[in-house]
Amino acid sequence: MSKKRTGIVFVLLTMLLLCMICISILLGSVRIGLGETVSVLTGHTDDATHANIIWNIRLPRALAAVILGGALALSGYLLQTFFANPIVGPFVLGISSGAKLTVALCMIFLLSAGKIISATGMVFAAFLGAMIAMGFVLLISVKVKNMSLLVVCGIMIGYICSAVTDLLVTFADDSSIVNLHNWSMGSLSGISMHDVLIMTVVIFFCFAGSVLLSKPIGAYRLGEAYAKNMGVNIRMLRILLILLSSLSAACVTAFAGPISFVGIATPHLIKNIMKTTKPQVMIPGVFLGGALITLLCDGIARTVFAPTEVSISSVTAVLLVPVVIVMMVRRKKEVH
Amino acid sequence: MQNEKLITDRLTIGYDSDLIDSISLEIRKGKIVTLIGPNGCGKSTLLRTLGGQLSARGGTVYLDGRNMQLLQGREIAKKMSMVMTTPVKTELMSCREVIEMGRYPYTGMLGILGEEDKKAVERAIAMTGTEAVADRPFDAVSDGQKQRVMLARAICQEPELLILDEPTSYLDIKYKLDILGRIRTLAKEQDIAIVMSLHELEIAMRLSDTVVAIGDGKIRRIGTREEVFEESFIRNLFGIEKADMELAGSLPWLPETESMEAHKEPHTKAGKPAVLMIQGTMSGAGKSILTAGLCRIFAQDGYRVAPFKSQNMALNSFITEEGLEMGRAQVVQAECCKIKPLSCMNPVLLKPNDDNGSQVIVNGVPIGNMRADAYFRYRKELIPKIKEAFDKLSEMADIIVVEGAGSPVELNLQKDDIVNMGLAKMLDASVLLVGDIDRGGVFAQLLGTLSLLSKEDKARVRGLIVNKFRGDRNLFQDGVSILEEKSGRKVLGVVPYLDVRLEEEDSMSERLSVKEVRQIDIAVIHLPHISNFTDLDVFAQIPEVSVRFIESSGETGCPDLLILPGTKNTIADLQWLKEQGFAEEIIKAAGAGTILIGICGGYQMLGRKVEDPEQAQCEQGLMLLPADTVIEREKVRSVYLGRIEEAEGNLQVLNGKPVKGYEIHMGKTTPYEDVHMFTSGKTGYCRGNIYGTYVHGLFDQKEIFVPLLSVIGEKKGVQIRPEETVSMDEYREQQYEKLAKGLRECLDMDEIYRILGGKR
Repeated sequence: MSKKRTGIVFVLLTMLLLCMICISILLGSVRIGLGETVSVLTGHTDDATHANIIWNIRLPRALAAVILGGALALSGYLLQTFFANPIVGPFVLGISSGAKLTVALCMIFLLSAGKIISATGMVFAAFLGAMIAMGFVLLISVKVKNMSLLVVCGIMIGYICSAVTDLLVTFADDSSIVNLHNWSMGSLSGISMHDVLIMTVVIFFCFAGSVLLSKPIGAYRLGEAYAKNMGVNIRMLRILLILLSSLSAACVTAFAGPISFVGIATPHLIKNIMKTTKPQVMIPGVFLGGALITLLCDGIARTVFAPTEVSISSVTAVLLVPVVIVMMVRRKKEVH
Repeated sequence: MQNEKLITDRLTIGYDSDLIDSISLEIRKGKIVTLIGPNGCGKSTLLRTLGGQLSARGGTVYLDGRNMQLLQGREIAKKMSMVMTTPVKTELMSCREVIEMGRYPYTGMLGILGEEDKKAVERAIAMTGTEAVADRPFDAVSDGQKQRVMLARAICQEPELLILDEPTSYLDIKYKLDILGRIRTLAKEQDIAIVMSLHELEIAMRLSDTVVAIGDGKIRRIGTREEVFEESFIRNLFGIEKADMELAGSLPWLPETESMEAHKEPHTKAGKPAVLMIQGTMSGAGKSILTAGLCRIFAQDGYRVAPFKSQNMALNSFITEEGLEMGRAQVVQAECCKIKPLSCMNPVLLKPNDDNGSQVIVNGVPIGNMRADAYFRYRKELIPKIKEAFDKLSEMADIIVVEGAGSPVELNLQKDDIVNMGLAKMLDASVLLVGDIDRGGVFAQLLGTLSLLSKEDKARVRGLIVNKFRGDRNLFQDGVSILEEKSGRKVLGVVPYLDVRLEEEDSMSERLSVKEVRQIDIAVIHLPHISNFTDLDVFAQIPEVSVRFIESSGETGCPDLLILPGTKNTIADLQWLKEQGFAEEIIKAAGAGTILIGICGGYQMLGRKVEDPEQAQCEQGLMLLPADTVIEREKVRSVYLGRIEEAEGNLQVLNGKPVKGYEIHMGKTTPYEDVHMFTSGKTGYCRGNIYGTYVHGLFDQKEIFVPLLSVIGEKKGVQIRPEETVSMDEYREQQYEKLAKGLRECLDMDEIYRILGGKR
């Protein structure tokens, strides 16, 4: 029964995702027809401009949306598992903001030194920031057992990081500001195929790691005590959860800036569609879902006020905040 | 070893500080061990520690003989599973999914269930009757069903040991019965070892094979249901000594011996017990034995009786199961009453020291050393304590028989008296005065005592007893008339010299000082600080056996069994052994294959060395057992229930036999080489025919002394008749009955009952 359901959901998600990829390649300020696009993709065209637009702008952007959206959702899922709380996500806990801060720092200092930061460098800096922010959250979580308080603390850390970032922006050179501003709003524009390659490697690693953790994550659903009783190495599991979720979130932030709410809302949507919390299906499901949502939001972001682009975070917020609110209300009901 | 799934060795548990220490538990295949105790006593903490959820603060947990700390999580998970108190919250998980989780330790990297796993899941579902709910969401089923599912999950893990923390909380009676029934089936049919905590005492009482009572930061009692579910103990454990139990419905303790059922009409109104006090004209007039005898007579007649003595002076004390000290005379008397000894029967105990003072023990707990003059000034403050103890006892008895101390007319000590007339007044007791005719001057004793009493006190004396009469009582008829005429009181009886063997308080019994050597010869080294020599009393009933207490090395001879008894000062007595030349003789005898048993202090002497770090003393031992002893300040006082583990040599026949006794010692003995365990729980070791143990009362059970004597007898061609022997408990019981019978023949019981204000 439920197997059938998850099967159908998977097929549907995959089909939708493929459709969305096609649509997002077709959409854009320059009109390129379907036939033209197909011939560009199959390499049967001489139109260098069109080929350039599709191969170097639209395709990388679509792929980045898929990979980063998936990564964001995955990071959210892992964090929700770790805290056993459905209202946490990389953005809420300040991880994204932490990553943003370090990336901004690097950008500004390197730019002022006349150097350009490489994609891997960005990922690394973001990961560092993410780990620092996460470290603070964990430090507080030792003292504060109340989850709502912990979330509030995460938000506070996020604010501090954002404030510092803003401060940096205020005093930075004009040239870097433009760059930084776009980036810090959250945007998928300007991603190259090379960036896609790097993020694929990083996110594939995170995804594979999560799949390997699916067994202990499943046991962890019964609570720490039972998981321990079944032979789960709790300490190791928690460390791996934190590392993998921070790395995914960091990677996303490094390339696309902070994208909010995908991380919180996607796991919730997926488990309600699938009607299960089995990590073996949740991990790929969440990844697909995150990819789909991000791709959709990106599509909206760039078409709604075309040719002006809206920040992707604005779209995700508008679309996903209701989901989060419904989720919190339901959760409240369950408690009572 | 196969049967013990889980053993704890001196385990200390707790979260941030030690909650309970020195926990030694054994949990066996197919047995149900239940933890009971008040809220917050540490039951869950103990279970969590056993389950590896919480690390131990000291000591070791052995799972199947292996130190659990060194085991992999998965290895543990295959042997042990848990069901906790709080219901789990899951999201979108079906009950089946929850149950399947139990296969965790068996599945591969990705946790995909194989055929075998699926079968195990189905079996667990069938066993717990969860078929109907298996595919429903776990969150949607009732608490009772949830608990079943959690049990199924635990079973699915195919454990050999199941730990359940209050498996029945939150459940209604139907599910309670259901879950407990299934747990019992698991133990009995699947041979799974089960440890659980339970709040419902009545259920624990019915279900458990072993009950562990926890309270006051320690394990208070471990034993069978009968041993633990005893009214006074349970009331004390939960602090409900005075609570009215009516609301609780069926009583959470086992009905006590016949005396309770045969309970007759209460003696005085409103449950206040009748108080009879036995005072003597001098010490040694026979108060203790008469008190014991009267206790047994009242118990036989169906009353709830309890003994009481406000202040005892004795070298040897008894340790109650709560670990409190009290005088041994009241223990004997309590046994005569058919009840367990309680420290409130003897609130003040003075243990004389070498240096002109005494250790003062109040309500079972030592409060310090005092010189005589200091104590006399202090004792007034003890009056409320004594009264309190007496009141506690009053709750449990229809008749309390109080024993006085010494003579009531020590005129210089009468102020603030708390042992004789002062006490009688406080308790409103009727007094019987006992004189000792054997020592002569019985008229002067009785009439003189009476005439020295104040008018008020004199009025309390309701009758006289002449004790220790030898010969034809009829010849004393005139004496009785004279006493009655001169005192104006009835002589309630002329009691003959009764041949009854009761455990005597301090002096060694005459029967044990025989020097004659019978067919089976047991020699006990009479150490200068010898203690707890009751260990050998059980042999007194066997005519073929002689127990000799030898004081000089020349007397040793060739005993069949050589005993090194307990001592209050191991190091001093060890030096004495060497000075007297005993040491060589013992080593020689051991070399010749004589069975040598060291008990307590004697056991310590058998090792390599005895070290007292506090006194900076260290004495070389007899080097017969490869073990070292370190004397510690902390006194081990506990009831022992164990067995002979793996004796070598002649005592091999005892292996596996149960041992019941008690431990009281200061010190820890640890082997430094591989050596066979003699008594379980690391309380004793042996090598060849040399055995050492901390357990007192080792020989008391028939299971032990009969095979022991048979082995010795076989060697010498002596036949002992086991059917004519009884265990020490039974032997004592026989003696009590004999005493009561003897007293009934000579005491005017009708008159005594009349004095007590009751009708017969």
